[in-house]
Amino acid sequence: MRMHDSNASDTLHESFLSFAGFRYLKLALALCLVCVMTYICARPPASGGTWLGYSLGTIGALLIAWLALLGVRKRSYHATLGTVKGWASAHVYLGLSLVVVATLHCGFHFGWNVHTLAYALMIAVVASGIYGIVAYGRLPAQITGNRAGGTLEAWIEELDDIAERSLKVADQIGPDVHQVLIRSAERVRIGGSLRDQLFGPRMTKAVDRQYEQLRQQLATTLRSKTGRFTSIQMQWQTLSPTEKKPRRVTVNVPDAQSTVMFMADQLSGMDQDARDAEHIRSLLDLLARRHDLVTRINRDIRLHALMQIWLYVHVPLTFALLAALIVHIVSVFLYR
Amino acid sequence: MAARFKIAVIGSGPSGLSAAAHAAELGLSHILLEAQSHLSNTLYRYQKGKHVMAEPGVLPLRSPMSFAAGKREQILDTWQEEVARHGVNVCHNAEVVGLTGEKGAFTLNLADGGTVEAEYVVLCIGLQGNLRKMGCPGEDASFVQYQLDDPDEYQNEHIVVIGAGDAAIENALALCDHNTVTIVNRREEFDKAKAANNAAILKAIQDGRVRCVYNAGVGSVSKQPGRNPPGVLTLNTATGEARIPCHRVIARLGATPPRKFVESCGIHFPSEDPTSLPAVSATYESNVPGLYIIGALAGFPLIKQAMNQGYEVIEFIEGRKAEPADEPLLRRKLGGLPGFVDVDQALEVIRSRVPVLAPLTRLQLREFLLDSELRAPSPGEVIFQRNDYTDSFYSIVAGTVDVQIDPDDPSRILSLGGGEFFGEMSLISGRRRSATVRAGGQCVLIETPRRSMSKLIHSVAAVKRVVDEAFLRRAIQSNIAPDVPIEALSEVVGTASLLAFKAGDSLFNEGDTGDGIHLIRRGSVTVSRTIGGREVVLAYVPAGQYVGEMALISDLPRTATARAAVAVETIRLEPAPFKALLARFPVVRNHIQEQFRTRVASNFDAQQQSAERSGIIGFMMAQGLGEATDVLLIDESLCIRCDQCEKACATTHGGVSRLDREAGPTFQNLHVPTSCRHCEHPHCMKDCPPDAIKRLPGGEVSISDACIGCGNCERNCPYGVIHMGVEDNSQPSLWRWMLFGGREPGSAPPKKGKDSIKKATKCDMCKSLPGGPSCVRACPTGAAMRLSPEAFLHASQRR
Repeated sequence: MRMHDSNASDTLHESFLSFAGFRYLKLALALCLVCVMTYICARPPASGGTWLGYSLGTIGALLIAWLALLGVRKRSYHATLGTVKGWASAHVYLGLSLVVVATLHCGFHFGWNVHTLAYALMIAVVASGIYGIVAYGRLPAQITGNRAGGTLEAWIEELDDIAERSLKVADQIGPDVHQVLIRSAERVRIGGSLRDQLFGPRMTKAVDRQYEQLRQQLATTLRSKTGRFTSIQMQWQTLSPTEKKPRRVTVNVPDAQSTVMFMADQLSGMDQDARDAEHIRSLLDLLARRHDLVTRINRDIRLHALMQIWLYVHVPLTFALLAALIVHIVSVFLYR
Repeated sequence: MAARFKIAVIGSGPSGLSAAAHAAELGLSHILLEAQSHLSNTLYRYQKGKHVMAEPGVLPLRSPMSFAAGKREQILDTWQEEVARHGVNVCHNAEVVGLTGEKGAFTLNLADGGTVEAEYVVLCIGLQGNLRKMGCPGEDASFVQYQLDDPDEYQNEHIVVIGAGDAAIENALALCDHNTVTIVNRREEFDKAKAANNAAILKAIQDGRVRCVYNAGVGSVSKQPGRNPPGVLTLNTATGEARIPCHRVIARLGATPPRKFVESCGIHFPSEDPTSLPAVSATYESNVPGLYIIGALAGFPLIKQAMNQGYEVIEFIEGRKAEPADEPLLRRKLGGLPGFVDVDQALEVIRSRVPVLAPLTRLQLREFLLDSELRAPSPGEVIFQRNDYTDSFYSIVAGTVDVQIDPDDPSRILSLGGGEFFGEMSLISGRRRSATVRAGGQCVLIETPRRSMSKLIHSVAAVKRVVDEAFLRRAIQSNIAPDVPIEALSEVVGTASLLAFKAGDSLFNEGDTGDGIHLIRRGSVTVSRTIGGREVVLAYVPAGQYVGEMALISDLPRTATARAAVAVETIRLEPAPFKALLARFPVVRNHIQEQFRTRVASNFDAQQQSAERSGIIGFMMAQGLGEATDVLLIDESLCIRCDQCEKACATTHGGVSRLDREAGPTFQNLHVPTSCRHCEHPHCMKDCPPDAIKRLPGGEVSISDACIGCGNCERNCPYGVIHMGVEDNSQPSLWRWMLFGGREPGSAPPKKGKDSIKKATKCDMCKSLPGGPSCVRACPTGAAMRLSPEAFLHASQRR
């Protein structure tokens, strides 16, 4: 499951998945094997109402109750009954084996009733759990890679610093640049709603339109003075190594790029005024760094969100499952 | 007619107050003369709210006045109240300007023209009444001051602080939040100050909170009327004259004995040195009979000592023999000594039986024994186990102890007799005990804690020499030549030299000719070779082991570079006597050759591995692995950032997490969070006033409840793992949270009020819990683990 093949600490750390030499994977496989063998051999064929059905149902219900206790064990920081890692390992493998146990328990009888609802909820819980295992396996290393030694706090501080410095530089170029910069800084979006966190923030359309109008207007004024564009565009390309960003991380690119384009226009419009050109160049550098930071921050938020989102499905569904399970058991005994 | 008294006490500091109060208590006719309109001027002029400490902690107070560590205001109020209660005859605004006469008939002249007559005079004027001035034009200008009472009095000023001592640094740091502060240092370092203050001022300078002018002397101070700021300070610096406009100059240049006045009383000083103090007898009497000196002027700057002297001096004047305040404590401590008569006799016995303590003065020996414990273990009792992390030092007063030199064979034993000492190995190297020691017959030991022993080693050169020599002999014997009699080692020991290396220095370089074998006394060393133009680390060698034996055996140039990972001390053994030893004892040669062979093999293995491993070792060394005993490592490819580790830590330790998961550097996927490394020589222990930081037998460095919250350890820790916090032991219920919400277990507790005292908190490896550190046990994915450097290097080598 792990993404990296050359990890520094391969021999130091042991993942919860391989805990104690895959003890719980073996246990889960043995449990499945026993259940399947008994199911095949059982006469009459198993369903909810047979002795085997009851046995499998009891095992399944106990498993579900125990699996749900991970949340309790995790927060019992003084508990000495095994380690949380061991519990997590057992939770994963025994949780997966539950699919086999429960399916055999119902003997493949499905219908539009509370029994199948409990089954469906269980499958949904397991499915979200599988997503969790995949996410826990892949995303941590991606987060570290994206961090590149930085921390969120330091990044935010640097962003503030860049905003301040770029305004100072902009002041030296002219009030119009200052204005544009302020607008652009106002539009930097970090994090936001759940949707923004998962897929990257978007700008509201009104702001977009307003900004685009402004940019067009300024660009036109400048273009009327000069016509050189291409060389500056290339500079932007080299300044922006993060252009090869992963799919869907489109954070602020229109915004940052528009600002940069505006700056580029300014640069090309300068009549060889070396000092202004220098200012604009340093402003471009700052904006490129800002762009990189904002991208990284939003990617960091996104990766964290992707890593945690499943718990918001897994845990509530577990409670729903427990409720459905109780109804299922009670109704079976009352209305049999 | 002048007023006449039996005893005149000059100065109302701690010693004067105590003396006058005792005189009042005994109903003697007395007068306490104080130049100011308030009591205890030195304490009165302390910064507002300053915490006054009551050192030394073990010394009992014997005085009618009470005193305990606390805030300046609290102490002054208590004293004021007690002076009134005891009916002390205080005369304020009575500055003594002259003293004449002799025992039985002294005359004291006061500044206001009045006179006082007394049979005995007790001089307790301290040193602070005579602050050292700048000695330049303008030194008394209106904006120049030599004290700082309340730093909050000044806002938005440009203030120049002159001086490089603790007072100057503390003033500069207290002022710099609301003012622009420049500190002027005559030299280029602040090393005369306490280590914590030194670090704090350097950091403030680095952060730009305080400006500093080094190597500068004060030229003059002048006013610039009508301008803002109103003053200007001229400095003579290495590059010429510098003018600093300022609102205020605060010069903290220390104090000198008010020599002129003291000499005018007829008292002699032993030398011309301005800091020298007058000599006094055992009863505090000066060379002028009837004139007594106590307190800081007599060389006892600590408040509690001075107060005890105040009591004693009145007893002496009354012709009684006052036994020292620590006498009952020592009597209780030494009572167990066989044939005990009294404390003096017991001190003599100890001094004659234990040569290492012979060079101590009587006062030093008393202090040493106050800190120590006398133990009389029954035969066979284990004093410490091999691999324990204890670090106290033992001197044998009587009987014997048995040192088990071979961990695998309990029958091999080295016996130490009366007068010898043991435990110095762990004291010096900071590592685990190297052998188990059991008591022999009729054993009486003095057990001394690490801090007292280190203090003694650093202040008495003779003790250091004896302990160093024993360390050398025993280190050679246990590591290199286990079966060789001590006598045969004398030449090797005699020619050995003690060397010190800074972190990063090399002990020797690849290609050098071999100049001896280095036995590592403290710190740790990395062994590396240059392969393909890059330095590749092959091995890590901790204290107690040796490096450089290859060159001696093979006569070839050094095959590798040995580099100090942290500050390192080594003992270098000269090649010639060492080779002679090898020739005489084949067993030593075999031992070294065996070690040599394993080294070559493991280095060969290490060399086969990728450069990546070397990078990892380099990274970990930079993170303090070289001096760590146990470090928390997080595999970031497994870490799901759930912060369970922090929550577990906070829950275990009163809501204050002692680790910061996210902070700290990462190399590849290996993350070293901000968490205690339990160093071999913990930096935090260096300057702890109540000695509250201890190393436990398991190796955990932990802070006890004795912490006074001074923050020295926080500043001294190079890894930033100590935080000042208020712990709160209320635990939210898990089930209540699950059913009704509210505070989740592991979340931060509600903020406490400002008045709660912050104490230092740091990792103690969850010593109170069974099963090890809770951060590791709470990690759901196996990303967090704690391990020793040896285990880390071993594991990284296996790859």
